[in-house]
Amino acid sequence: MLLILLFLPLFCAFAVFLPVRRIFRGGLLCAVSFIHSIIVSSFWLKLPVSEFNGYLVLDSLGLILLSVVSFLFLIVSVFMVGYFKHEQRSNRTFTACLFILLSTMTVVSLSYHMGLLWIAVETTTLLSAPLISFHRNQQTLDVTWKYLLVCSVGIALALMGTFFLAIAAHDLHSLLLPALLNGAASLTVNWLKLSVIFLLVGYGCKMGLAPMHSWKPEVYGQATGMVAVLMSGVLTQCAFLALIRVAQICNKTGLSQFYSSMLIMMALLSFLVPAIFILGEKNIKRAFGYSSVEHMGILVLGLALGGVGVFGALFHMINNAIAKAIMFLTAGSVAQKYGSSSVDKIKGVIHVYPLTGAFLIVSLLAGTGMFPFATFHSELMILNAVIIGQHYILAALFIICLAFIFIGIARIVLEIVYGSSTKPVLANKENFFMNAAIIVSIAALVGIGIWMPTPLVNVLRAATVLVGA
Amino acid sequence: MTAWIDAGCIFIVFFALAILATYRIVGMIHIFALQSFVLGCVPFFLHAEALSARVIAIAIVTIVFKGILVPYILLWAIRHVSIRSEVKPFIGFGLSIILGSLLIAGAFWVSLSLQLPGKAVSNLVLPCSLSTVLLGFMIMVTRTRAVTQVLGYMIMENGIFLFALLLFDGMPTLIEMGILLDIFVAVFIMAIIINHINEEFERAPVAESRSETGESF
Repeated sequence: MLLILLFLPLFCAFAVFLPVRRIFRGGLLCAVSFIHSIIVSSFWLKLPVSEFNGYLVLDSLGLILLSVVSFLFLIVSVFMVGYFKHEQRSNRTFTACLFILLSTMTVVSLSYHMGLLWIAVETTTLLSAPLISFHRNQQTLDVTWKYLLVCSVGIALALMGTFFLAIAAHDLHSLLLPALLNGAASLTVNWLKLSVIFLLVGYGCKMGLAPMHSWKPEVYGQATGMVAVLMSGVLTQCAFLALIRVAQICNKTGLSQFYSSMLIMMALLSFLVPAIFILGEKNIKRAFGYSSVEHMGILVLGLALGGVGVFGALFHMINNAIAKAIMFLTAGSVAQKYGSSSVDKIKGVIHVYPLTGAFLIVSLLAGTGMFPFATFHSELMILNAVIIGQHYILAALFIICLAFIFIGIARIVLEIVYGSSTKPVLANKENFFMNAAIIVSIAALVGIGIWMPTPLVNVLRAATVLVGA
Repeated sequence: MTAWIDAGCIFIVFFALAILATYRIVGMIHIFALQSFVLGCVPFFLHAEALSARVIAIAIVTIVFKGILVPYILLWAIRHVSIRSEVKPFIGFGLSIILGSLLIAGAFWVSLSLQLPGKAVSNLVLPCSLSTVLLGFMIMVTRTRAVTQVLGYMIMENGIFLFALLLFDGMPTLIEMGILLDIFVAVFIMAIIINHINEEFERAPVAESRSETGESF
């Protein structure tokens, strides 16, 4: 079963290069995402057997990420059908990259070998470059270049960290996760510490944690909404899975204190930086990019605190992904209609496009963690963990920064929605596929916000036990 | 054989330093090709007494990818650019060399306190790989052109790879090949982006009318 998940998208990536009509490519992506999500949902009943001598294993941590990947690809592929109705460029390379991205993200969530994990994360970085530079004008190319350089250096540091880990595990002769966890006692502590620092900085760069976040607002500001969804929703969380794997190793070797103090430091910076910069922001997609930095901070904060914090962080992985889908798909649909995503060019959306205006309000509430959206619950769980851990100053800073970010996003969104009306440049009508994709994501986020199904709770519990904090 | 390994390591650092002092981009790429070739030969010296198919495979793949294909792609990427020399580095060449030597000294000083487990192959591998990584990083930061930044990144990767050669038994062959392939694809994509940037740069006066904001949506 795992092999189908890997090779089906990879095979289709070649199929899109056949001379076919563009609607066929969109349809193929929808079909493959649908099959992918069916197979993944069957894993919720029973976990599949491992493949390739234990290199590819699906555990509950991987299952959470894999489900998020599958869901977001399904949403994006439906949205894409509507998007390419109003887009002249060929979608050939774009679709091919999406297919390979789906395949490599599946590898990230399955890989049980630290080297294989690195290869998969690096490949996702490389594949997102053509996606970001889709429109191929000066700005997108500059942004793509910046992204490639920053992330490549980050990922190179992570590679160095992986090699240091291999030296620390010299007696084990293996980088397979079970071997590392069982033989944790024989790891050399000094090399392991060095390796943890490099892995944290490397994968943190990929995740966009402050102070390595500089690419984030730029890229999300320029990339199309769909690409921003996939990057903020799953690409960054793939790197978060790598950090969770590091946490698993640290918790076994008594380095958890060392690791979590670094994580808390980065989380704090990731709250402060967006809280400061979002207030002067004029572009809605850039503002959402800063919001993504903040949410990555929330994830690592939860991971650092352990116990209920880890549970909250894993739950937040799901919620953040869906919330980002709502935010960036709406922003992308507005930007396509008005030909811009800057506050100066878009005003009074609700008078022209009532539904899209409503979506913008929803994305404000979902992105900043308001009831009844599930982001509210997971943020509350993590705040709870901060207070249980008696970090009162941290809790205060956390709440203050969230308030500032709320003000920053609300200022932009409200002006766009209710400001005095401007005429859309391209004057497209509301599109059924685009709106359907957004409505499904909203329903999903409200759904798990109001009622958490038992299987979800069980998987989150099992995953928390696996992290072992 | 240790003498050969030591010589290889020193050459790798020396070439990195030489790139720091080179003015012309084509010259930089040639020196980089030489450095990768030396790097590809190091596995032969490390395992001279027991050459396995695996050692030979990794050495050949390294030489082909890093020593031939990557320089070729980079030369292709700069073919259309009329200015082939490094215009203005942020810091002068003399100062770069002095800073580079300081970085090398720092790398040697740091590696004094790091003890490699297992049998010691050569004392120079660790400090030399650290120096190469630092020099590559410095080239990336101080040079302004896109191609030189890619070169800096590749030199960094060479340093990391020199270090990885120590861990031959820790990593399965497939994983090492995957890492090499990834780095190669990285350079390939970067070269394509450089090419697009060049095209866009040449078309810029025409492009003004294309879109007012230049923003993609």
